[in-house]
Amino acid sequence: MKKELINFPYLTKPISLYTLDNGHKVALAHKEGALVNISSWVKTGSINEDDVNNGVSHFLEHLMFKGTERFKAGDFDRIMEQKGGIINAATWKDYTFYYITISKNHLDLALDMHSDMMTNITLPEEEIGPAFDIAGVAPEEKRERYVVLEEIKMRKDQNWSKVYHALNDMMYEKHPYKRDVIGTSEIISQIPRSAIMDYYNSFYTPENISTIVAGDFDEEHVLQEIIKGFKFRNTKTKIMPHGEMELEIKNPRTEVQRGDVNCGYIMFGFLADSAKNLKESIALDIISTVLGEGKSSRLYVNLIEKMAEPYYYSLDTCHYQFKEGNNFFIEANFDHTKFDKVIPEIKNELKNIQNITEDELKKAKKQTKVGFASSTETVAKLGDSIGHYLTVCEDLNVAQNYEKLLEEIDIQYIQDVAKKYLDPEKCAINVLLPNEEK
Amino acid sequence: MKKHVINGIEIILKNNAKTPRVALVCNFLINKEEKYAGIRSLYTKLLMQGTKKYSAVELSKLIEDNGIELNIKCKQDNLTACTLCLNEDFELAVDILGDVLQNSTFDEFEKEVHKLKGEITSELDEPRLLATDKFVRKIFENHYYSNSYSKILEELDKISKEDMFEISQQFMNSKKVITVVGDIQDEEKLLNIIAEKLAFMENYESEDEIPVVNKIQAPTVDFIAKDDLAQAQVLKGVIVPTFTHEDYPKIIVMNNILGSAGLSSRLFVELRDKKGLAYTVRSSYEPMIRGAILYFYIACDPSNIQKSLDEFDIEVKKLQTTPITEAELQGAKENVIGRLEYFSQTNMQQALMISGDYLLGLGLDWEEKYRKMINDVTIEDVQHAAHYFNSNSITVALAKSEYKI
Repeated sequence: MKKELINFPYLTKPISLYTLDNGHKVALAHKEGALVNISSWVKTGSINEDDVNNGVSHFLEHLMFKGTERFKAGDFDRIMEQKGGIINAATWKDYTFYYITISKNHLDLALDMHSDMMTNITLPEEEIGPAFDIAGVAPEEKRERYVVLEEIKMRKDQNWSKVYHALNDMMYEKHPYKRDVIGTSEIISQIPRSAIMDYYNSFYTPENISTIVAGDFDEEHVLQEIIKGFKFRNTKTKIMPHGEMELEIKNPRTEVQRGDVNCGYIMFGFLADSAKNLKESIALDIISTVLGEGKSSRLYVNLIEKMAEPYYYSLDTCHYQFKEGNNFFIEANFDHTKFDKVIPEIKNELKNIQNITEDELKKAKKQTKVGFASSTETVAKLGDSIGHYLTVCEDLNVAQNYEKLLEEIDIQYIQDVAKKYLDPEKCAINVLLPNEEK
Repeated sequence: MKKHVINGIEIILKNNAKTPRVALVCNFLINKEEKYAGIRSLYTKLLMQGTKKYSAVELSKLIEDNGIELNIKCKQDNLTACTLCLNEDFELAVDILGDVLQNSTFDEFEKEVHKLKGEITSELDEPRLLATDKFVRKIFENHYYSNSYSKILEELDKISKEDMFEISQQFMNSKKVITVVGDIQDEEKLLNIIAEKLAFMENYESEDEIPVVNKIQAPTVDFIAKDDLAQAQVLKGVIVPTFTHEDYPKIIVMNNILGSAGLSSRLFVELRDKKGLAYTVRSSYEPMIRGAILYFYIACDPSNIQKSLDEFDIEVKKLQTTPITEAELQGAKENVIGRLEYFSQTNMQQALMISGDYLLGLGLDWEEKYRKMINDVTIEDVQHAAHYFNSNSITVALAKSEYKI
């Protein structure tokens, strides 16, 4: 077992990061207070899927709550929630994570049940529900398979989801990030239990999991409980070929979809290097702050505040970080009758990002400092930050290097990064407009 | 917690040592109906659009350059003006907050009306919000609480710039409280900052002019057709007593068991886990000063609207007729209290909660009283509270027209 101490801004003690002999990473972070957060981050998501099992990571996430050798389906939810716990899970491209926030008085019970859930699942057929043909008649027995199908439907009704998923597909050629994390109705309605269990055995391995506990607790005791509780199966991590990282959109274009909406929705998407390229990643965070985060951002000031009758209802940027290449997005909600102006105006603002000022850089740096303060305000946010660094950046030292690298970044560096990744002519654009008759 | 008084306004301080950001909340009580729907929403937006000292752009720049969060929000019963900043920026943050509350010019009135219309239009594109909007208008029909997004769109053009000054005066003449939560190392200095920057405000007590919410006269079912939807949005609710009533804790515990406990509530287990009817299903209890609503929400396949409503009725009936177990009751109480702790972790969450409770006259020891009230709920109380669903209800469903109910 290896132990490292990692400084994290605004924490009163360094985080203890253990790498156990089986490869399982355990991060223990001290934060005063009555609550503790336990989370396990599995390094798998849609990145490890293919056209046959797309959506399996997310479906498995649902099924992880359906019982173990020791507890039947629903026991985990009921016991944890009846102790005042907040529990849930989430799946994304690079990871799937499971969490509990609970009173520190129930920490041992929560650790026991969490470790059991992570390593001891049974995936009962009756909880999964029967496979069926989505084009045919749905079975009487509608279990978790059907819940996920309802979740897929829900996203089809969300306007921003429609635009994001179409754009994501446009941004990639072959990389698994091209696929939608939730999968398709066709696959989810048919995928058998055996394929889900195979997937679990292939990726829920000790070297693929980081467990984080944040709160006020006895570190040695918690470490021993984790070692004792996580009884991993003797399976090997499957190596999935992901192909080369895609750092440039091969076929930049604009696509328009129509729907029963009353205004326009647009997203611009750009590709960038991995989140592990921390300095470039920080530079893109800074550009995002300057260009489109908040009411003093360039997009908001120039296209909303300075207009007598603004036709943009919202304008934002965001920078999603991924292990195999980041995404940068610009999104706007607008009066659809002014659509002809939208793309040229936003592209023009993007071109001008080359003229970033010292004041803007200073603002972005201050906001980063505030961001770290915010990430330590609850045990859940702290657990999420640590989990992100361990899983996406695969290095918790990022937390202590971040501020140092941030100080090294100057205007020239920002300009170089903007030039490298944010060429207005090399992006994908997806638009949702009202049906023609409107 | 400590209490001080400046200009008749009570200032509540809570020291959370070693926390990097400090939260300040000015909480203003509302005791008059809106002249037009949306007048207060527009006012809160205009407060961020320029003062005698700063233009809208200068104001945003000053706030964001310093990593300060400044939010002004208006709900049915109160307006909160909040700021959250690193400890070293507290004086600047309070200075800005004071400036926007005292010196806003409302010069960008027409532009802000235009922006608000656009923002509401895009919000109402979301099916869940569209259905909720209709539900709120129906369940609070003829009451000020029915001022939903769609009603705001209908009345926005009646509002004038002069109305903004009138609203501003109303808030200055209202009951208010200020709460600060953070690493308070120098209490005297902090109080001096508040006295200097917020001295223009005074506390006033005046009569409540807003009537209580009426009971629903007859059950109604409304259907909204939207033909490109994959799912149906369904809400069904009743008017119930609010936090001043002895049944308040009973309704909270009953609602927790029925549909708000997270992944283990009865609706979640029966309608989602066992019957696969939905991804999202829950019940909610929303108490306000003049009344409260208790309602069921599900997003389901449109062919399952009636089945979902029937299954909801079955779960309510079970709660009414079959006593819950002692273990389920105890679990619900722990869940309610656990959620309270979870949602009061940050300095801002605590400042909002303390000021809200205090403004409503619930006192500084409300959290303690609340825990006791919850712990005193019995099995019979839960059964009793479930009977509120027998009152006249409002049902709203939004789906493809072929699934009309």
